Amino acid sequence: MMEDSSPLVPALLMLVGVGTGVWMLRQSWGARDARGRGWMLGGWLLIAASFVRPIWALGAARGTFIALALFSTAALAVVAANYTIRQAKARAARESLAPEPSDRATTKGRETLRWLLAGPIGMIAAMGVGIAYAALVPGEQQTRLVVGGLIVPVAWGACMAWTLADNRILRATAVLVGVAVVSFSAAIVKGFA
Amino acid sequence: MTAATPTPKPAKKPKDLMSRIPAGFVRAVLRGHSSLGLAFAALIYLVCLSGSIAVFAHEFQRWESASAPQLTDATPEAVQTAFEGAIAKGGPGVEHVYITLPTNDFPRLLLHVDADTDREFVADAAGKLAPSIEFAWTEFITRLHINLHLPRTWGGFLVGLIGVALLSSLISGILAHPRIFRDAFHLRLGGSKRLQEADLHNRLGVWALPFHIIISLTGAFLGLTTIIVGVLGMAMFNGDVNKVYALFIPAPPVDDPRPAPALDLRPMYAKLPQDGGRLTYIFTEHPTEMGGAALFNVEHPNRLAGTDSYAFRRDATIYNAKKAATNNLGEDILASAGAVHFGWFGGGLIKIVYFALGLGLTYLAASGVHIWLARRRDKGRPAPGWERAWAATVWGQPAGIAAAAVAGLAIASAPAAIAAWLVVSLIFLLAAIRLPATSLSTLGRLATGALTLAAAATHLALRGGIGTADSMAWIVNLSLIAGGLFLLLWKRGGPTTAAKPEPATGPA
Repeated sequence: MMEDSSPLVPALLMLVGVGTGVWMLRQSWGARDARGRGWMLGGWLLIAASFVRPIWALGAARGTFIALALFSTAALAVVAANYTIRQAKARAARESLAPEPSDRATTKGRETLRWLLAGPIGMIAAMGVGIAYAALVPGEQQTRLVVGGLIVPVAWGACMAWTLADNRILRATAVLVGVAVVSFSAAIVKGFA
Repeated sequence: MTAATPTPKPAKKPKDLMSRIPAGFVRAVLRGHSSLGLAFAALIYLVCLSGSIAVFAHEFQRWESASAPQLTDATPEAVQTAFEGAIAKGGPGVEHVYITLPTNDFPRLLLHVDADTDREFVADAAGKLAPSIEFAWTEFITRLHINLHLPRTWGGFLVGLIGVALLSSLISGILAHPRIFRDAFHLRLGGSKRLQEADLHNRLGVWALPFHIIISLTGAFLGLTTIIVGVLGMAMFNGDVNKVYALFIPAPPVDDPRPAPALDLRPMYAKLPQDGGRLTYIFTEHPTEMGGAALFNVEHPNRLAGTDSYAFRRDATIYNAKKAATNNLGEDILASAGAVHFGWFGGGLIKIVYFALGLGLTYLAASGVHIWLARRRDKGRPAPGWERAWAATVWGQPAGIAAAAVAGLAIASAPAAIAAWLVVSLIFLLAAIRLPATSLSTLGRLATGALTLAAAATHLALRGGIGTADSMAWIVNLSLIAGGLFLLLWKRGGPTTAAKPEPATGPA
């Protein structure tokens, strides 16, 4: 009986490859001339090449997710290794660059509506989109249902980001209610087959 | 590392894509990002912290059962003996018995009996049962992550909602970061606390983005499954959610409640195909009724969703066989979502990577609030009450979780672990009424360190001691001791004490 292949050797090779690739990207980031493009191209090529080995050795899906986790780890290691100490005199100049959240005028009613849009109304609209996908898009039943299910958190998250940022709250209300009505209606009319 | 020598004045570069986003839009998105982050910060922090620890659930199970028999394989006869023994000892009302077969990662023959009172047993190579074992700590930490110890449906939904909020924060965080490329490699420590936290927050958020998206999307999907299936059933199947589940799960056997001897699993074993797969799990339903059935899961290597399943009736005839190789995309995604979410697909190395990146995500939640608090302080509008409450949350939770480990080991009861976690959490929140944030942080760090050491000591005293045969128990204990000592001895340096100066001119 077979066990999963050990990811150790492919993972270590990948860490070296991705680490070098990210280091090259950093060289590109710091370059002031045309050499930067070369570093960037070389860095991304090396990173892409580093994904091939774990995918080939550890299975397509398994290798891809292992590679993604290792990519973040190697990249953060390169960033952490290049930390700098900020000097107090530089502080004032840098502070002015940081964007500040908008300070919009609002009322209790508008804030309540905003959170209703981000919460339950956004959820219903997102579910409508996911269910409409499952009903209307061709393909295997299970695939449509699962992809439709994955659409729900993405669409709901996007709704949250949008409604909590948009100053025109009535527009957001109209769009979300419209999306919910249209998507559920279309799904119910078409049915699931 | 960056050299301290000054570099020439940079030539002006053309604006990158993100820098062209209008400032008004960035400020509006940042407002939404800030509102959402503050509203969900404590819950995101708790779910991420518990999730980072829950990555090692199997290792903790081995740790808690360190003195139990170890085996890497079990014969059908041994499994049958253990199965019958577990039913006999499980008490009245046995509905299901779940059998986890030994593997290299989890060298135990584990049987969970779902009866009037749930019990778990570990068996030796002959199938003889060891005394009943409580995995109180593992149960505590996994349930804290999956449903926050609330009723499962509501807790699962709340955790799913937290996943959506995290996903939304990732979207708004990227859109609110116009300097994403220009600051891609900046990690400037020292100086202003707010800007230091912002650099850590942004670099962690950007470079670990693939991991963050995978975790939040799979977490939200798994948490919201019940409600999504419910709405789907209402909208498209006349309210019958079972029709949705039937597309993914083999139909249950025909119910026949007449009493019968325990299922005989051995003839079922004999009918499993010998195709290189490894039997990892047996799920038995109504094992002492005429309508009893068993589902065998056989895993194939190097596949995320590589589990074949064979469902048997009492007479060992197969009524459903599903080969993973014939899965469609949807079935593959569903079968792999849990493993991808918890990091259970790449051995110990990937678990360690998931733990580290998970702690990074936990820090992301904490630093978001730190930035907000520091911004208020910079603007002359400090919020000392919120500073205290946040310090009590950030350090009260790890201390509470460590206290749960001690209680879980000492009393061998998940409710005791939950009570210990609640009590310590409450103590920290009450202390926040009087103590300043810095004192709460110091107290929390010391309490977490001491309780972590106490967990290792309790384990050595009560769960196998130094004579334990399972190397994993040693690894966990040594990790706890190292972590506890680190927290006790760690002294946080001031922001300007390090000796590595920032270059005079940073890259544009």
